Amino acid sequence: MSAFTYVGKRLPPVDGEERASGRAQYVTDIKLPGMLHGKILRSPLPHARIASIDTSAAEALPGVKAVATWADTPGVSFGPIPAFEDWTILAKDKVRFVGEEVAAVAAVDEATALRALDLIEVEYEELPAVFDPVEAMKPGAPSINGRERNVVMPFSLERGDVDGALAGADLVLEEDYYTNQVYQAYMETMAGVVRPEKHGGFTMWLPIQIPNKSRLTYGKALGVRPEDIRIIKPFMGGAFGAKMEVDLHLVAAVLARKCGRPVRIVNTRHEDIVAGNPRVPMHIHLKMGFMRDGRFAAKEVRIVAANGGRTVYSPPIMATACYRVDTLYTFENVRAEGYAVDTNTVPTGAFRGFGNSQMTFPLETMIDQAAAQLGLDPVAIRRRNAVPTGYVSIHGWEVGSSGQEQTLDNVARISGLASRRRQAADTGPVRRGVGLAACNHVSGNKAFFPPFDGSSSIVRIAEDGKVIVFHGECDMGQGQTTAFSQIVAEALGARLEDVTVAEVDTQVSPYGLGSFATRGTTIGGMGVKKGADAAKELLLQAAAEHFGADILALDTEQSEVYLKADPSRRVSFGHLARGFIFTHGGLPMVAQGHYVPNTVAPDPKTKYGNVSPAYVFGAHVAEVEVDTETGEVRVTGYWASHDVGRAINPMQLEGQVQGGVAQGIGWALMEDMITREGRIANPTLLDYRVPGSKDVPRVTCDFVEPVDPNGPFGAKGIGEPALNPVPAAVANAIYDAIGIRFTELPITAEKVLAALRAREAAQRGRGGQGFV
Amino acid sequence: MRKQLITLTVNGDRCEVAVTPDMRLLDLIRDELELKGTKEGCGEGECGACTVIMNGLPVNACLVLAPQAAEADIVTIEGLTTNGTMSLLQRQFLDNGAVQCGFCSPGMIMTAKALLDDNPAPSEDDVRDALSGNLCRCTGYEKIVDAVLVTAALVGQGSAESVPGEGGAA
Repeated sequence: MSAFTYVGKRLPPVDGEERASGRAQYVTDIKLPGMLHGKILRSPLPHARIASIDTSAAEALPGVKAVATWADTPGVSFGPIPAFEDWTILAKDKVRFVGEEVAAVAAVDEATALRALDLIEVEYEELPAVFDPVEAMKPGAPSINGRERNVVMPFSLERGDVDGALAGADLVLEEDYYTNQVYQAYMETMAGVVRPEKHGGFTMWLPIQIPNKSRLTYGKALGVRPEDIRIIKPFMGGAFGAKMEVDLHLVAAVLARKCGRPVRIVNTRHEDIVAGNPRVPMHIHLKMGFMRDGRFAAKEVRIVAANGGRTVYSPPIMATACYRVDTLYTFENVRAEGYAVDTNTVPTGAFRGFGNSQMTFPLETMIDQAAAQLGLDPVAIRRRNAVPTGYVSIHGWEVGSSGQEQTLDNVARISGLASRRRQAADTGPVRRGVGLAACNHVSGNKAFFPPFDGSSSIVRIAEDGKVIVFHGECDMGQGQTTAFSQIVAEALGARLEDVTVAEVDTQVSPYGLGSFATRGTTIGGMGVKKGADAAKELLLQAAAEHFGADILALDTEQSEVYLKADPSRRVSFGHLARGFIFTHGGLPMVAQGHYVPNTVAPDPKTKYGNVSPAYVFGAHVAEVEVDTETGEVRVTGYWASHDVGRAINPMQLEGQVQGGVAQGIGWALMEDMITREGRIANPTLLDYRVPGSKDVPRVTCDFVEPVDPNGPFGAKGIGEPALNPVPAAVANAIYDAIGIRFTELPITAEKVLAALRAREAAQRGRGGQGFV
Repeated sequence: MRKQLITLTVNGDRCEVAVTPDMRLLDLIRDELELKGTKEGCGEGECGACTVIMNGLPVNACLVLAPQAAEADIVTIEGLTTNGTMSLLQRQFLDNGAVQCGFCSPGMIMTAKALLDDNPAPSEDDVRDALSGNLCRCTGYEKIVDAVLVTAALVGQGSAESVPGEGGAA
C-alpha cells in the first residue's frame, strides 16, 4: 500500500547495536588524558546569607588541583531566559535552595575531591524561607530574588466573553487542583566533561538537549564568545526536558580554567534529585461553563506555579499551562491568570509536557465530571468540542491537520470503553473502572526561542557513496537518529545502511535549536529532509552529465541514479561522487537545506500567534483496579490513540507512547518529591519510586495519520503528548471504580483509603450504607 | 589505602587487579578494566543499571566490593558479544524496540540473560518479576518483556543461533 521504502517501517534503531552491546560512549564514560574529577559543595540550607568561605584546608589537601568559589567565576548574572537572569555559577553571598552550588573542587580522583569538600568551611546566616508559591506571594513573605511579591512573571489573557458565557451556561463547575513536583529520573544523571582550550575557550562533552542554544547562555556566564565553546553531544541516557542549561557544566568549566586540565563532573543520584530540574508544581483553579448539549461555554483558570530558587523555565511553562489546552477543543471564551513565583526550593523546569501536562489533568477531569452530571457520554462530550483540520484557534493557532475525532473513536473502540464502564456497580472489595482523557500538543514552539524557528542540515555524499548528515538537533535517546536516517534515506533514495547521522558537534554541525516542544521529528525532520532534497538535486545533476540526459528523466533509489525510461541504466552515488570530488580537487560533494516554519511568535500583549507548524491530538483510556481495603490502585489495562500526522517508524512510536504512559502512571499514582522545610525527604530511587516492570500494564497503541501539510512526509510529534493525558485518564478511571474524584497528584493508596473512609463516615452519619 | 591483588575471571579472561578494600566491583569493571558498558545509575542498588553476572547470578556491581569478587567468574555486557556479533538476546532487544536511550540496556540484558540461563521458558510474570529490579525510564518495559519472551521462544524452537556468552544456552 505504501509507496515508501523506509518511511512507515518498523525498523530497529540504527544506533541500537552500540547501545545494546555496551559500546556506546556516554559522557559518563569519557576519560581524557590528565582529566580531573570535580565535586560540588552544595548548600545545606534553603535560604541563607554566606558570611564567609574558607577553602584553605581543602586547597592544602594533597591531590586537590583547584578549589573554586564565586570569586573564581566571571561574576556575572545570567540565565536560560534573558529576561530572568538570576543565576551565578557559584553562589555569591546568598543561597536560595538546598543544593545550590556554593564551591567546587577538582582533584585527582573523586574520593579526594569529596574529602576536600568536607574541609571547606562555610559560615551561613540562616534567613527566613518560604516554600509554597501561594505563601511566597503573600505580603511579608521573605524576598528571595528581590522581586515584588516574589513574582518572576505574571501572565494574563482573555478572549471572548467569559462572564457572559458563564452566566448563560447550563452547568458551571469550579475546583482547586494541585499537580505536584516530580523528577524526570532519566537513567544517566547530569554530567559534563570540560577541557580548557586556547584563548580561554572550552570543549565540552555534554548530555544536553540544546547543544547550540546553550552556548549563548554559557558564553555569557563564562565571559567568552559562544563560538569559543565547542559542545559535543555523544550518546545520551535520557533527559525528558531536564537537560537544558545545567549549572554543573559551568562549574566544570570554572574548575578546568583554574587548573588548566580537563574536569569531569557527574551528579550522584542524590545530587541529581535535590538539585536537578524537576517539574513545575502548580496550584490550579479551574472554572468551566458547559451547555446541556456538551458544548464548552467558557473556561477560566488561575495558576500559581513554583519557580524554585532561581529561574530555569517555569515562566513559559506556567504560561503554557494557562492556554495551550485552548487548542485542544474549540474554545471561544477563555480567561487565564498565572504567576511563576520564587520559592526556596529546587529550581523547576521542563518535564515532558511543559505545563500542558499539568493543565490537562484538571481540564480532562472536569470534563469527565461535566459529562457525568449532564448525562453525556465521555467520548461524545469531547467530540462535540473537537478541533477539525483547518481550524484556527482563538489564539491564532492554525491546525493544518487534525485526527482528533478519530483518536477518540479509535481509543473507545480498541478499549471497548462502553462495555467496560460502570463497573463501579461491582460489590467486592476490589473495584474496577475505566477512564478516558484527551490531549493536544505542539510540534515545535516558536515562543520558546523567538529569535528564530526552524532547522537545517548539511548532507555530504562521500566518495564511496555514503551519506553523512549533519544537524544541530539532539537525540537524547528517543530515537531521533533513526527517524532522521529514515527520512533522509527516503528523500534521497539512498540505502538506509549508507546513511550516517553525525552526532552534534557545534564546531561542524549547523546551528539548531535542539530537542524540546516535541519538535524533533517535525521541524528537525524537515531540516534533514530539505538537505536530502538538495543532495538529490546535486546527484541528479552529476548523473545528467554522466548519462547525457535531462535531470527530469532521472530518479534515485537504493543509492543509485537511474533513467526512468530504462531503469536498467544506473549509476551509483559513489561513482558520481568520486567523479565530482576527484575532478574538483577534493571539493566535498555537499548540499545544504533548511526549513523555516510558518510560525508566529505570540504577541507579548495579546498572546495571539501561531507557535507551531503542526498540532497533535490524542486520546487515552486507562483501566484500574482499586482495592477498597488498602487504597491501592493498579492500572490493569491501557489504550492510546495518537494523531501523529504520518508514522515514520511505528515501533519507535509505540515505544514513545508506552514510555510516556509509564511516566504518566508514575506521576498519577506513585511519584512525589516530598519536601519538608525545603529539604527533599526522599532523594533516592528507593524512596522516590518510579514505575518498575510490574507497575505498568501493556499499552495498546493506535496511530491516526491525517498527513500534515508541514511535517516531513506529513509527520508530527509524539514525545510529550504521550504523557499529557495519563494522570487524568487514571483519575477518571478511579472515579468510575469508586465514585470519588481526586484533585491532587499523586493519588496514593493513603489518599484513596482516607477518601473512602471519609465517605463511609459521612454515609454512616447520614444513616446511609455501602457505596453509591 | 593499602591495595591487595585479586584474581578473577571477566568475560572468560583471567585478570589480576590491585584493589583497595573500599573499591566497588563496579569501579573495578569500569575504571580498572575499562569495560564501560556496565553503567552506574544510582550507586545504591536501586536501578539495576550496573547489573553483571557473578558466578551465574545477577548482581548490582555497585553493591559488591571488589575484594569480594576474588576468584569470581564475572560476565559483563561486553561478554555477550562474540567477535563483534551480538547475542540473540541483544538482537531481540533491538528488533523488538526494547532499546531507547540504552543506558539501562546493559544491566537489563544481563538480568534477562541470568533469567533465561535459569529458566529457558519463562512466563510474562516470570520476566516481569526478574526485571523488577532494573529501572527503565524510556520504554514502559513492554518491549523489553517482549524481547525476552521472543528470545526464549526462539531458543526453545532450537533457533540456529543460540545465545553466545558465558555460562549457558541463553
